[in-house]
Amino acid sequence: MVTEMLGMILAGGQGTRLGKLTKTTAKPSVPFGGRYRIIDFTLSNLSNSGVNTVGVITQYQPLELNRHVQNGAAWGLNERGAGVTILQPYASSEGEKFFEGTAHAIYQNMAYIDSYNPQYVLVLSGDHIYKMDYERMLRAHKAKKATLTVAVMPVAMKEASRFGIMNTDDTNRIIAFEEKPEEPKSNLASMGIYIFDWAPLKKYLTESYATDGKMEDFGKDVIPAYLAHNEPTYAYAFHGYWKDVGTIQSLWEANMEFLAPNNALNIANRNWRIYSQTEALPPMFLTKTAKVTRAMITDGSYVAGTIDHSILSQNVKVGEGSVVKDSMVMPNVVIGKNVVIDHAIIGENALVGDNGEIIGTKDDIAVVGYGEVVGRKEKA
Amino acid sequence: MRQGEMAAVIDLNEDVHTLLPLTAHRPIGTLPFAGRYRLIDFPLSAITNADIHSVGLFMPESERSVQDHIRSGAAWNLDLIQGGVFLFPYVATRDYTDVALRRRYYENYTQFLRRSGSQYTVVMGAANIANIDLNAILAYHKAGDAEITAVYKNVPKATVTPNDWTLTLSEQGIATSVIQASERHDGDEVSTVPSFMDIYLLPTIDLIDLLDAAAQTTEFRRLPQLLREAVLAGNANAFEYTGYLARINSIQRYFDANMDMLTEANYQSLLFSSIPILTKSKNEVPSFFAKDSVVENGVLGTGAYVEGVVSDSVVFRNVVVHQGATVENSILMQGSKISTGSKVSYAILDKGVVIGPNLTIAGTPDHPIVIEKNRTVFRASEVEELAHA
Repeated sequence: MVTEMLGMILAGGQGTRLGKLTKTTAKPSVPFGGRYRIIDFTLSNLSNSGVNTVGVITQYQPLELNRHVQNGAAWGLNERGAGVTILQPYASSEGEKFFEGTAHAIYQNMAYIDSYNPQYVLVLSGDHIYKMDYERMLRAHKAKKATLTVAVMPVAMKEASRFGIMNTDDTNRIIAFEEKPEEPKSNLASMGIYIFDWAPLKKYLTESYATDGKMEDFGKDVIPAYLAHNEPTYAYAFHGYWKDVGTIQSLWEANMEFLAPNNALNIANRNWRIYSQTEALPPMFLTKTAKVTRAMITDGSYVAGTIDHSILSQNVKVGEGSVVKDSMVMPNVVIGKNVVIDHAIIGENALVGDNGEIIGTKDDIAVVGYGEVVGRKEKA
Repeated sequence: MRQGEMAAVIDLNEDVHTLLPLTAHRPIGTLPFAGRYRLIDFPLSAITNADIHSVGLFMPESERSVQDHIRSGAAWNLDLIQGGVFLFPYVATRDYTDVALRRRYYENYTQFLRRSGSQYTVVMGAANIANIDLNAILAYHKAGDAEITAVYKNVPKATVTPNDWTLTLSEQGIATSVIQASERHDGDEVSTVPSFMDIYLLPTIDLIDLLDAAAQTTEFRRLPQLLREAVLAGNANAFEYTGYLARINSIQRYFDANMDMLTEANYQSLLFSSIPILTKSKNEVPSFFAKDSVVENGVLGTGAYVEGVVSDSVVFRNVVVHQGATVENSILMQGSKISTGSKVSYAILDKGVVIGPNLTIAGTPDHPIVIEKNRTVFRASEVEELAHA
């Protein structure tokens, strides 16, 4: 089986801006939308795009992520001669191969990529919520005879200074790249999705590490080098729902957007399904006292309280008299009786005791960490 | 990979005529249950939980439904490098007066049993819904004197119907025969009956002998009959099961068993016990409940979309209940749709049934209305027809 394009998912970042939620787990394995984990979107996009050979580069707290990804069978990526490989830092005769940055992580895993001898390498991050056909992007890459294509998303001009911005000519060729410019000249934000011709990328990385110029980061080092060497580098515009869920606020927002009946992500579309590791759990049970409106509920859950405008993941228990509003509750959470949860994210395996109160606001989302036990309050 | 101590045989050729039209295109074993299961999930989950590595499935006439559900057996951890699920096809002509065909019937079993390398074999049906610990039954068998162990549950006499299989127990608790309830002569003082759960456990070598001996005779006897005769000839250890049990052999019992899951104690003991019930899972989206939805006392699968009212009902995946629609005391199977303004009560809607707007489908607790697979009901005259069916 010839591997035309190999996918590399950068899933090693710490995700510090997610605070407590990524204390013990990597950002890509954070639960999302009731029955998914963030990386499911990228893995499903790969599977739906026909990219069946995928390296997942992990580094920070990889245990839960590895257990989730396994051999990729849940996403249909376990074909003979293809499949998912978890790539972790390792020690070799040349020293330890920890990853210093996005491009460095690719450099350290050159042997893995070479073992498939692909023509193209698709570099992705594992922490975005979106549906994208990478095959169409590859067609654009080939049509432009590019050696690097960068997926970009038109953003509002006033937002542009928060992103890496690509300035392009009339043919979409990238002529300049500016990281978080104060006065942006365009509104095309890099999505951190790249298609490289493997041979030149390998040459650049090898040469730079053989000499003094280190290429650690795609945005800071590789793209500028490509532009400086006049490599044919093009932008590929993506139109659709795309969300970076790097902060508590954006993770909460993305979950709330996911709840909206006309959400642009269109999760129920069967032509572009999002797959996940599924566990056989009993059906959900809503008791006589349950009141459920504007909500998503997942299997194994038991609800005796009131749920409004919220997402309950697998195996969540909500006791009688409790109210969950504008919140996202992760798997295996137990919420006792007469609890109030409002504008909050409740981490996996957490326990909120009877009469507890977890109350945030729209701009300051309350968070209960993984496995945290939040004290039961005696009724006043 | 180590071979298991036990092998299992499930015969899916159970009598389906009392469950028509639900069984028109499926055996009892693939009847949907409790929002996400098929009945065969219960024996298969017991099998995998007991570390059984070889399972022989004897296919019914409607094989496709079984194939579709089982696939490689991966959902029950039965896609193994050695052993796994073995499917034996349905013999269409069923002309067992033909010696060669008769021999093949027995050989299918004996070949499977010999290759399993197992010491004991469990023979199960798929019409009993229960959460079974086969290791406990094996331990009980080893401690007993008889060659065969049969599993039963004591049920109230009033719940037994004449065709139900039961055990006759001696005072020492030994089963002396397997007979239908109509043949029993229990006195009035007896309030419970040992209902046979269609589970036998016996040494594999004895089962092979039984089948080989039957192959030598001119009369054709199927395995269930052979085992009943063996109990009559040599008695059986009787293992008493005390958990939740439903015996699915009529529409009414099927309906009641699903409704049983709306009682928390039943739901917990059957589905949340130490033996997990495994089933094929689909990558379905979570169920969505809209702004004005009201759901009270419901068991639901994933991918449902509820805008209306659902109470005291079992709802499978991808069901849509539109705004202003009401569903009460009903079973809605996968993909059924209830349009605006319609009311459904005491009904069983098979997969893909669509009920048009402003209709009333009303059965009674003792006579639920059954609407067959993929039927669309859009006119009041069709509703009339259903009520009188």
